[in-house]
Amino acid sequence: MAAVAQEGLSGSRRSSRRVKGDTVWRWVVLILAGVFFLLPLWSALRFAGISAFGSVIGFAGFASSLWLSVKLAIITTLITIALMLPTAVYVHLRLPKVRRLLEGITILPIVIPPVVLIVGVLAIAPGFLKSSDLLLALEYVVLAMPFAYRSLDAGLRALDLKTITEASNSLGAGWITTLWRVILPNLRTAMLSAVVLTVALVLGEYTMASLDLYQTFPVWIYVNAQTSGQVSVAASLLALFVTWLFLMLITMIGTRQSRKTGGGQITLFTVARQETRGN
Amino acid sequence: MTTNTAAADSTWQASGIHGTSVLLQNLSRAFGATRALDGLSIEMAPGELVALLGPSGCGKTTALRIVAGFETADIGTVLVDGKDMSHVPANRRDMGMVFQSYSLFPNMSALDNVAFGLRMRKLGAAERRKRAGELLDLVGLAPQAKQYPHQLSGGQQQRVALARALAIEPRVLLLDEPLSALDAKVRLQLREQIRTLQQRLGITTLFVTHDQEEALSMADRVGVMREGKLEQIAAPDELYEHPATAFVAEFVGVMNRIPGELQSDRLVAVLGGLVPAADGTDEVPGDVDVLVRPEGLRLELIQNGNGIVTNRTFFGSVTRVSVLLSGDVTVQVDKPSSEAAVLPPGTSVAVSLPPEPVLVSARRTATP
Repeated sequence: MAAVAQEGLSGSRRSSRRVKGDTVWRWVVLILAGVFFLLPLWSALRFAGISAFGSVIGFAGFASSLWLSVKLAIITTLITIALMLPTAVYVHLRLPKVRRLLEGITILPIVIPPVVLIVGVLAIAPGFLKSSDLLLALEYVVLAMPFAYRSLDAGLRALDLKTITEASNSLGAGWITTLWRVILPNLRTAMLSAVVLTVALVLGEYTMASLDLYQTFPVWIYVNAQTSGQVSVAASLLALFVTWLFLMLITMIGTRQSRKTGGGQITLFTVARQETRGN
Repeated sequence: MTTNTAAADSTWQASGIHGTSVLLQNLSRAFGATRALDGLSIEMAPGELVALLGPSGCGKTTALRIVAGFETADIGTVLVDGKDMSHVPANRRDMGMVFQSYSLFPNMSALDNVAFGLRMRKLGAAERRKRAGELLDLVGLAPQAKQYPHQLSGGQQQRVALARALAIEPRVLLLDEPLSALDAKVRLQLREQIRTLQQRLGITTLFVTHDQEEALSMADRVGVMREGKLEQIAAPDELYEHPATAFVAEFVGVMNRIPGELQSDRLVAVLGGLVPAADGTDEVPGDVDVLVRPEGLRLELIQNGNGIVTNRTFFGSVTRVSVLLSGDVTVQVDKPSSEAAVLPPGTSVAVSLPPEPVLVSARRTATP
């Protein structure tokens, strides 16, 4: 008995040592990752200097390029959700066999280089589009498709879509009401994930905007880096901070909403739903 | 479960719901090469609870989904109070449905779930809340009105789903194995609750299940299905005591198969005696199996009998005794537990049949 107790004691000591070891390693990894990510930011901050932040706002093209980027983010998000949501729901409900094919198709924008995409788009786009912001927004829709689709797909997988749709139908709701009142509210978390990814993508995209000759915020930063390095770096930091704040806000609101109804935290590709407890 | 029950009942009765007749006529449905339904016809009287019972893949759920409007029949019609519903979409059929899997809307509280159908019927907010509250009370879940589905247990969720289906005062209630995901105790409670409510409200109900105990204990009539066809539809006792086919006999309750020989005079030589074959036997004379329930066999303690007791299972007042007969055939015989007490494994016994008509079936080749 004593030997067993001794064994148990040394076992618990071993496991407590292991837990301590794990904690130390976690901190080491966290600190290394922190240094890796924060060092460049700190360097950028030192290079720009605090005074540069004051002059950013008044700089030529700052406001218009920022507004263009925000506008593009909004238009892209709206078109992406309007296209991808009904598609994903329809495929899940009616064409489950096509799901894999659709997944394959939505991967294409990641595989095809933006340059190839732009050359193709410019060759076939009608004239009125070429002079409009919509052209870039449409290109961004293609670019955002893999991320948006995957977020929505994860959300739909977490739902028993067929059953709740049929339940809604049997209670007298038509398709539009079912989509609006039953499916959409339960996909809020997944939609927020899709929005977060799309917005982040649009606010940071450079290649397409530059090749299409749009002066979006990233393009403006790059152009100004040639002439006024400090201001451009300050603008980058400002953009980074604002984007981060924006994404945090969306994530926090979404998570709070979804927790209330048993949904999981917003993680960008999976939307976990809590299990029902017992019988 | 009492305060608002009377209120809910009176609302129900005021709405003029007195049960609806349902007629399924020659329903057939194929999925590719598989015939899920093959000429199914059932007539349901107003206020009747009919259970469709059968193994998985027998077409019972397809039949229910056709009635609900989620599937369309290739041939055949569904008549509700004489009106053909075949082309009426699911959301206009006025049929309440409780699903096998948990079907509550996760984004709505229990109360909002129950009120959803009323909202679709354009009832005012106050009236909706009042009625939904009454219905929740009816299923004994008034205190959980504000909880979300993930905060409710499985049994509670199915009760909310039942309240939600009843809230719209449906003409027909459709139950698609609503108890199969629940544990035995909750299942028993909910089974009784559903039956009590169904009878009190007089609502015509079609209930699909693969659990014979559930079907026999709840339904006015049970339809046994096999490979898309209705083998027999009858009251539970009729089905148990006078099964029309060997399949029904074996699917409902426990049934022994004892080898025998059908003679040209319609007598069957079995267990060393002669008993008459049941009316309607269409087997040709020769080797057959005789189908007998465990309570239909006689068992006597005797030296050098035709069987040896191999096992006993205690069911309270009754004990089921397993007896090995010659030819490696094992039969089960129900005896009062007091009598079975003197029949330990290894005891020699005589198994025989009373001289009553028996159901015979083609001889089943012994499985290795």
